[in-house]
Amino acid sequence: MRLTDASVAIRPRSAWEALDLGVLLARRHAGLLMASWALLTLPLFALLCLLLWEHPGWAIFAFWWLKPAYERLPLYILSHALFGDTPSLGQAFKALPGLLKPQLLASLTWRRLSPTRSFDLPVLQLEGLAGPARSQRLVVLGQRDAGGATWLTVVGMHLEMALWLGLISLFYLLLPQQIELDWSWQSLANAAAGEWLWLEHLSNLLYALLLIVWEPVYVACGFTLYLNRRTALEAWDIELVFRQLRQRLTGVAYALLLGFGLVLLQAPTAAMAAGASSCPLPQEDPHGPQAARLLKQPLSSQAARHSIEQLLDAPPFENRETVTLWRFGEAATAEDPSADSLKGLIEKFLKLAEFWKSLDAVALFFEALLWATLFALVALLVWRYRDWLATFTGRLGLPQRRAHLPPSQLFGLEVAPQSLPEDVAGEVERLWTEQPRAALGLLYRALLSRLLHDYRLPLKDSHTEAEVLRLVQGLDRHELSAFSQLLTRHWQNLAYGHRLPPEDLRHALCDDWRRLSAAGGRG
Amino acid sequence: MSEYTPEQPSTLTSAPPAPAQAAANPAVQRQRASQLAQALRLELQKALIGQSAVIDDVLTALIAGGHVLVEGVPGLGKTLLVRALARCFGGEFARIQFTPDLMPSDVTGHAVYDLASEQFKLRKGPVFTNLLLADEINRAPAKTQAALLEVMQERQVTLEGRALAVPLPFMVLATQNPIEQEGTYPLPEAELDRFMLKLRMDYPEQAEELSMVRQVARSTRADMLDVTPLRTLLQAKDLLTLQKIASDLPLDEQVLDYAVRLARATRSWPGLALGAGPRASIALVRGGRSRALLRGGDFVLPDDIKGCALAVLRHRVRLAPELDIEGLSVDQVLQQLLDQVPAPRL
Repeated sequence: MRLTDASVAIRPRSAWEALDLGVLLARRHAGLLMASWALLTLPLFALLCLLLWEHPGWAIFAFWWLKPAYERLPLYILSHALFGDTPSLGQAFKALPGLLKPQLLASLTWRRLSPTRSFDLPVLQLEGLAGPARSQRLVVLGQRDAGGATWLTVVGMHLEMALWLGLISLFYLLLPQQIELDWSWQSLANAAAGEWLWLEHLSNLLYALLLIVWEPVYVACGFTLYLNRRTALEAWDIELVFRQLRQRLTGVAYALLLGFGLVLLQAPTAAMAAGASSCPLPQEDPHGPQAARLLKQPLSSQAARHSIEQLLDAPPFENRETVTLWRFGEAATAEDPSADSLKGLIEKFLKLAEFWKSLDAVALFFEALLWATLFALVALLVWRYRDWLATFTGRLGLPQRRAHLPPSQLFGLEVAPQSLPEDVAGEVERLWTEQPRAALGLLYRALLSRLLHDYRLPLKDSHTEAEVLRLVQGLDRHELSAFSQLLTRHWQNLAYGHRLPPEDLRHALCDDWRRLSAAGGRG
Repeated sequence: MSEYTPEQPSTLTSAPPAPAQAAANPAVQRQRASQLAQALRLELQKALIGQSAVIDDVLTALIAGGHVLVEGVPGLGKTLLVRALARCFGGEFARIQFTPDLMPSDVTGHAVYDLASEQFKLRKGPVFTNLLLADEINRAPAKTQAALLEVMQERQVTLEGRALAVPLPFMVLATQNPIEQEGTYPLPEAELDRFMLKLRMDYPEQAEELSMVRQVARSTRADMLDVTPLRTLLQAKDLLTLQKIASDLPLDEQVLDYAVRLARATRSWPGLALGAGPRASIALVRGGRSRALLRGGDFVLPDDIKGCALAVLRHRVRLAPELDIEGLSVDQVLQQLLDQVPAPRL
């Protein structure tokens, strides 16, 4: 890599300006980038579609997930094109297997959703860093331009969505008017999956096509952001200026050197000899302050110095304290995990775990408390707005999902089968003479119970007798509906018109009922 | 059925001269009354094709002695229905076309100075009639609409300090157009409440529209149905008798309770901001009675009440603003209400 060969002006830029440069770079090499991208991705897309023809959603998801793998190719092309060494299509594809090898799994799994994907890619691919070195490098690089890279991804997502929707609408607008398509949304949503598969694959294809335009720009923008960051970190621009200076001044420097040489040759040699002892070595002074003195006295200078030093070490003069605090760990210690420190670390972890275990009970209590509060709140809200819920859920179609439990009471009558006597007809005949109302009521109850439990009619409290009759007619059972009509008419006469049923009706109704229940039992 | 309809008028017109006999046999009289009502329905269905539900409701109000407000887009035959009814009904018929400059005195009448007798003379307005068609009632301002308040409730008009009774039976049939809002004045609540039923006219079914177009294309007046061939089936006193018979129909306590519960449910229903008043309960019961008569029944069923509940309630309640914003109509909410209020218990 020779900075002087770079095809862009190298100078520190703001993140946005760097992104702009990326767009420009992608535009300059647009043909190559888009062609290589299309050649790489479209066959893959076709393959995925064929494999997952029944599940177009999964096909496009897999295609989308593999994006980091494709992005290595444009970066390769861009990194070479930047220094004037634009590879041909064939060269680029020849290099592709080598490009895919390093850290592909990481790119496709836990780093897939990184918002600074295109900014991080050069570290991996161009610098070839891996593991802690890579993350350390990323921390350094990300100190300034990571925000720009994140925004690039966010904007890119929206741009993809907008372009995709735009292409779909364009496709829809271009349908000739003669093709009359009655595309109501409901039918689109409800259509059998088979009929619309091609349409979903078509929209997937539109997505693959728009990526041809957008992805090279995305990769180029990440690359220029990376270049910009390195320019700032490594002072490439200053280096470049120095190199230019050197290039410009090489001839002048030789002339100057020659001139200096000539001048030095003219100088007198004596002067050069005098310089040999110009700097004497410092010698130990026997009478200096450090020398031992007063040796004959009880307190020698040595002893005095010793005690002075002791005093100076004691509290009034020296205050030592040990302060323990958290700091970001040095990466060096992590890199060199000797057996001892690892053991200590594990022991510390164990201690920490024990400490947490003692806190578990408290944590559990608070967790239970919080959950209980949440449930109570939800229950309170539901209770507070129960009327609204009852009104609106009816319209949302929720009751259809609810299992339809037949009511045990209808029009105030017990209609559960258990509440009816074994032999309904016999009971009716017995009651008919003294309690005609009870007899007819029992028969009507028995009919409703049959309708509810045997014919599974969705009867509700709000149904009137005539509505029940209409439902019975919907069953399309001639005998049953004739019987129901007769019984309902006399029941209404008795209940609302207070007219007693004629005597000869008793046998007709009871016989009909016996016949019906026998038929129902057989069925 | 149309073969023996010509006999119907004579049977009933001959019934009143012998009240003692009729009273002795109320069942026979009731049967005759319901036959007459059904003949009237058939006759109206000849004129107005494809709107049998609306015809039933208008007859319900006619028999119950209530007023009707008919709402529908132009061209569905609102006015035609009323004209056909007037044609079949032997009493007086008057029509007021409500316009923005109509004054209350144009409706009720006013005093004029007579030069010959040098005195003020009362000149009665068009309300002094049996059947009053208030066409496009919401085109007149509120003060003119208010001229109808007294006559609709009390069947009398106060002119120059004197209360003058209008001839009985008296029925107002008003029409209005729901889509045009410009230059119209929505009816005030008090006025709306006085209408027993508010009917919605909808487009006819395809087969019915086909037969209607065929019939109109044959008629001499190229663009409208003719009501002249309809026979007069009903005189004013016949109608009074009908109303009397209907109001005497037996009504079980449970059914009465059902009607009152329906009206009361609108007051606490969460989707409704304003519920219906006691007039609604009364209208429900009267409507149920006249529907029972129309049906040919001898007593009132809960079905009769439920059948006219929508028409009785829809103009007496106001939808909650939240539901209004969501685009729900009053009819949908009332239908939910009808689906949840339990039918009578026995």
